[in-house]
Amino acid sequence: MNLVVALMATEQGLTKDTILSSVAGYREQSEAGASKDALEKMFERDKESLRGLGVPIETIGDYTDPDDLREARYRVPTAEYALPADIEFTPAEIALLNVAGGVWSQRSLSAQARSGLRKIRALGIAVDEPIIGYSPRISLREPSFAALQSAIEQSRVVTFPYLKPGEQAARVRRIRPLALVEYEARWHVYGIDVAIGADRTFLLSRIVGDVVISRESFEPTLRDGAGERALAGLRDVAARNSALLEVNPGSEASLRLNRRATPAEQGIRVPFVDVHVFADELASYGPEVRVVEPAELRVEVVRRLEAALGTHTGSGSGR
Amino acid sequence: MSAGRPVLATDRAALMLQLVPYLIGKGEVSVAEAADEFDVTPAQMRGMVEKLTVIGLPGEGGFWQLPNDLFDIDWDLLDERDLIVITNSVGLERAPRLTAREAAALLAGLQLARSLPGVEEGGVISGLLAKLARGASSAPADVIVAPAPVDDVRIAVDTALQRGVAVSFTYRAPDAAPTTRTVDPVKVHIANGQWYLQGWCHLRKAMRTFHLDRVSDPVLTDIPIAHGEEPVPGLFEPSEHDIVVRMRYAPSVATLLGDYLDRADVQTEDGVWRATRRMGGERSLRGRAARRGGDGETLEPLAARRAAEEWAGAGLAQYA
Repeated sequence: MNLVVALMATEQGLTKDTILSSVAGYREQSEAGASKDALEKMFERDKESLRGLGVPIETIGDYTDPDDLREARYRVPTAEYALPADIEFTPAEIALLNVAGGVWSQRSLSAQARSGLRKIRALGIAVDEPIIGYSPRISLREPSFAALQSAIEQSRVVTFPYLKPGEQAARVRRIRPLALVEYEARWHVYGIDVAIGADRTFLLSRIVGDVVISRESFEPTLRDGAGERALAGLRDVAARNSALLEVNPGSEASLRLNRRATPAEQGIRVPFVDVHVFADELASYGPEVRVVEPAELRVEVVRRLEAALGTHTGSGSGR
Repeated sequence: MSAGRPVLATDRAALMLQLVPYLIGKGEVSVAEAADEFDVTPAQMRGMVEKLTVIGLPGEGGFWQLPNDLFDIDWDLLDERDLIVITNSVGLERAPRLTAREAAALLAGLQLARSLPGVEEGGVISGLLAKLARGASSAPADVIVAPAPVDDVRIAVDTALQRGVAVSFTYRAPDAAPTTRTVDPVKVHIANGQWYLQGWCHLRKAMRTFHLDRVSDPVLTDIPIAHGEEPVPGLFEPSEHDIVVRMRYAPSVATLLGDYLDRADVQTEDGVWRATRRMGGERSLRGRAARRGGDGETLEPLAARRAAEEWAGAGLAQYA
């Protein structure tokens, strides 16, 4: 903390020697006889953790030899550190941000959102009309989310084991991750599959092991607009895939499905993204819905019903 | 507020950077209020404020720092009245930029907020998205939340909520004949993409939760809300009608089971996991079993096991 204050107060920057001998924290260590080496390591560590907190630390090198860091001076440029003074939030915007800050049920994301909100609230804008009566929540239970988010921020290639339904074992996928997308209450990661060199979308619930962030980086501009592309891709798939279903009127299935359906000659048509995810849902409706087409979906629903029947036949003891 | 969880060093540094702008903005604030704002205990907040007073500018020319070079607070106010007031500030007055993580978390939240009736038309969101992106220290990862479409039912419920009047609708509970309900709306929960209305039901004379997918033909009434102040139960609080269910499954399919395990008590035994949890009724149970196919097996109660078997059998009979 003393380091931040010192680096922000200086225009020209401070040399490492000045910092180690005068900034509180280092100075005590130095007077207690800590080696220069140890102090320098401590300084490097502090610099890294401050950068991790979003504090920009500028290094002003020797103009004649930019690689020579002995005479380098360090500073925190206030313009890059502080929230830009010209960003203003209206009370209506603050009210919305207050809602946005409370949606995460997952602890670390909730803490991040609240921390961001605090910074904005410190600008001192009053909320005149809070948005009441709503409690929107985003749930996130997939442990892979955090690693994927880090990898996207750093533009690094990741690998993870991915278990496709119907396959016996998970296969390791290697992708350039570009965006995380929640669509129909399921989290997806969108990226470029390195092996095939094409865009792919993966369900986080099918990532069955650790996401490993590799040292290999990619061009950050690939991320530009990736979220919108991913969403458009999912919507395209849904528009192309449509199932023809017969639904018992008044049943739970008809209530749930009709919201998404268009009427057809024989039953209703419902768009879907993933045949397995949709088959899971349809199987849960049991006798309330019958798949007419496509055949692939029909097969998957039948398979689930058969398996559920097989597993639950008999008393279940001794198995 | 967190219950006394220790604050990590890096987290503490992040909090300290936010503390000064917050305290200066407030002028005078109680320890309790500041602790609440920062999600720490009052004792931790007091510790942070005390720590602040040893932070300051480097001393000139190798001398120790002078009092003016350090942050200072009104100690009397803190000791006697639990109030925090900064009396000397040496920097950090401006709020720091948002980190990429913080911006991403808020941006995703805003996209969900976009699905609230009336918000999108206000045009507030797009401006906010741009401001947040500009206020971040580095480019946040794209975290996108696709909003669900807003329909007549949602708009009617929203209008009733805003006007403070009851709303009538047809409600189709699982395995029951449709009923007409008049409800004083209190809160709308959005969870897993589903909308739930909580409110005081005139028919049942109690607080009830309604899944909006089961609501149709909404009509606004001119009856003012009379029971809005009564306590609202949590969305998924256990009720006396719940049954306790035991199932087993292979650990490899745990993530595929998704939210089923969120509120379950899980035990591992010979590489097979057993989850015990409460469920709202047979209806959701038998559907669950079919959804999972052979991945999970319902063990107890036996009636639930039978229901799962019959449900899957009846579903299958359609394809015979």
